[in-house]
Amino acid sequence: MSDDAARAEPASFRDPSGHIFRRSGRIFRTVNERAVEDFEFVRATGLLDKLAAEGRVIAAQEVAAAELGEAAAEARYVLEHPRLPFVSYPYEWPFPALKAAALLHLDIQLEALDHGIALSDASAYNVQFIGARPLFIDTLSFRRYAQGEFWIGHRQFCEQFLFPLLLRALFGVPHNAWYRGAQEGIDTVEFARLVPAWRKLSPRILTHVVLHASLQKLGRGAARRVQASTMRKGSLPRASFRRMLARLRKWVATLEPAERDKSLWHDYAQSHGYSDQEVEAKTAFVSGFVTETKPAMVWDVGCNTGHYAQAALAAGAGYVVGFDADQGALELAFARAKAERLDFQPLYLDATDPTPRQGWAQGERYGLGDRADAEAVLALALVHHLAIGHNVPLASVVDWLVGLAPTGIVEFVPKTDPMIQELLKLREDIFPDYDEESFLAHLRRHARIVRTETVSATGRLLLRYERKD
Amino acid sequence: MPKEQSELSKLDIAIFVVVVVAVLDPGARALAYLDPATGSMLLQLLLGGVAGALVVLKLYWWRFKEFFGFGAKEAGAASEETTHERQAEE
Repeated sequence: MSDDAARAEPASFRDPSGHIFRRSGRIFRTVNERAVEDFEFVRATGLLDKLAAEGRVIAAQEVAAAELGEAAAEARYVLEHPRLPFVSYPYEWPFPALKAAALLHLDIQLEALDHGIALSDASAYNVQFIGARPLFIDTLSFRRYAQGEFWIGHRQFCEQFLFPLLLRALFGVPHNAWYRGAQEGIDTVEFARLVPAWRKLSPRILTHVVLHASLQKLGRGAARRVQASTMRKGSLPRASFRRMLARLRKWVATLEPAERDKSLWHDYAQSHGYSDQEVEAKTAFVSGFVTETKPAMVWDVGCNTGHYAQAALAAGAGYVVGFDADQGALELAFARAKAERLDFQPLYLDATDPTPRQGWAQGERYGLGDRADAEAVLALALVHHLAIGHNVPLASVVDWLVGLAPTGIVEFVPKTDPMIQELLKLREDIFPDYDEESFLAHLRRHARIVRTETVSATGRLLLRYERKD
Repeated sequence: MPKEQSELSKLDIAIFVVVVVAVLDPGARALAYLDPATGSMLLQLLLGGVAGALVVLKLYWWRFKEFFGFGAKEAGAASEETTHERQAEE
């Protein structure tokens, strides 16, 4: 098979209107016969061009079918889209990202409706991120609005946006774990079971959660009894549709995480025991590294509030994807990326259990490893967290980190450091191999050590490595 | 609390959704590929106004009657349907 062949995007198969293909590093979308009428209608309104210019919908350029070759055989049109820096999924997003995605979706629905356009679904996977900016990517979701039609995507919106947000806003439970396990979203009936009686008095919850679930159960039994003529009397007037969207939008805008207590690591930035001097030294080390190597893509594993990611960008890194398991830290990181308009994308990740490949045929959603194309990795204050905090053998930690990128910075915190003493306080010290010498030996199996610097009085060591391959 | 009706055949559900959506969309083109789900449609009927509310109330009424054992004897086309299904189940 030639390198030039077009490959179908594994996640783009449900909607027969068209599909995404990759060819020679470019992204194309086919528009099939059945979707042509709607496509031309929407195109004539100019809505998508306007939204693309505003950076809310992905840009699309019509190209010749020959650009895509055989894959375009049945297509009437072929579009080309710009590549995204990093593909991510709703179960990897921190709360504010999911919220921003939900608001974008509703805003687009509302604006589209005013142009006589409706969206054919409400999938959270139709939103991607560039930094902290959500981007709607499903060009073919837009079609002509038919008077009186229902909001077809309502259930999907609830299960893929609203309920995950409510899980955190009402109960203080982060959406990531549940969502990752149920990639089509949180089931309406299941979620309704969690709602305590007193909450059911809230009109919004009553409508979109309780009543929704109850009608879902009612509907299951109704098929035998419903007559077509009875249902014919029903429709959703446009004004009601609009009102429904607008009210939902207003509600989503108010949602915030329930638990306002500071989480373990986001306090870290204030109280980790680093002096300002040490932060400066670390920052300088990172900046120096980035200035010399100018990596286009950096992964900051354990990015905390994004301070070093920001420093890397300032020093000339192209894009930084940050990973952390602490929700509070991620929220601050996201706020930073948004406020400063950084090319920094903070995502939820438990490094001991990275996102696997999943979905249909275990190929629909990429795993973390499938998206590993970082030129540099930052692993600050991470090694001890995995080796001591989670009992991962030191050699294994080094193998994994170095495997992520050909070059990078790793921090080694010695056992005598107060941070580790804290971790070992109530545990047996079963880590005889955890010392600087062993660490360096493990690292040298794969890489040469370009530079080191001790950044604290307690002996914390930053190392810059270059993989031998 | 009445027990949930025995599992509907997938065909029943498919027919229901197709009928509901096709009938309610006067400019019916090819249907959206997404399954809208009954509960969501009924909810929107309710939110849409009085006519919609009446439909939903009717469904609750049927369910209520069934609970008391007045199941199948509905006037009009429904009885034809349920008779047919009862025959199929035998």
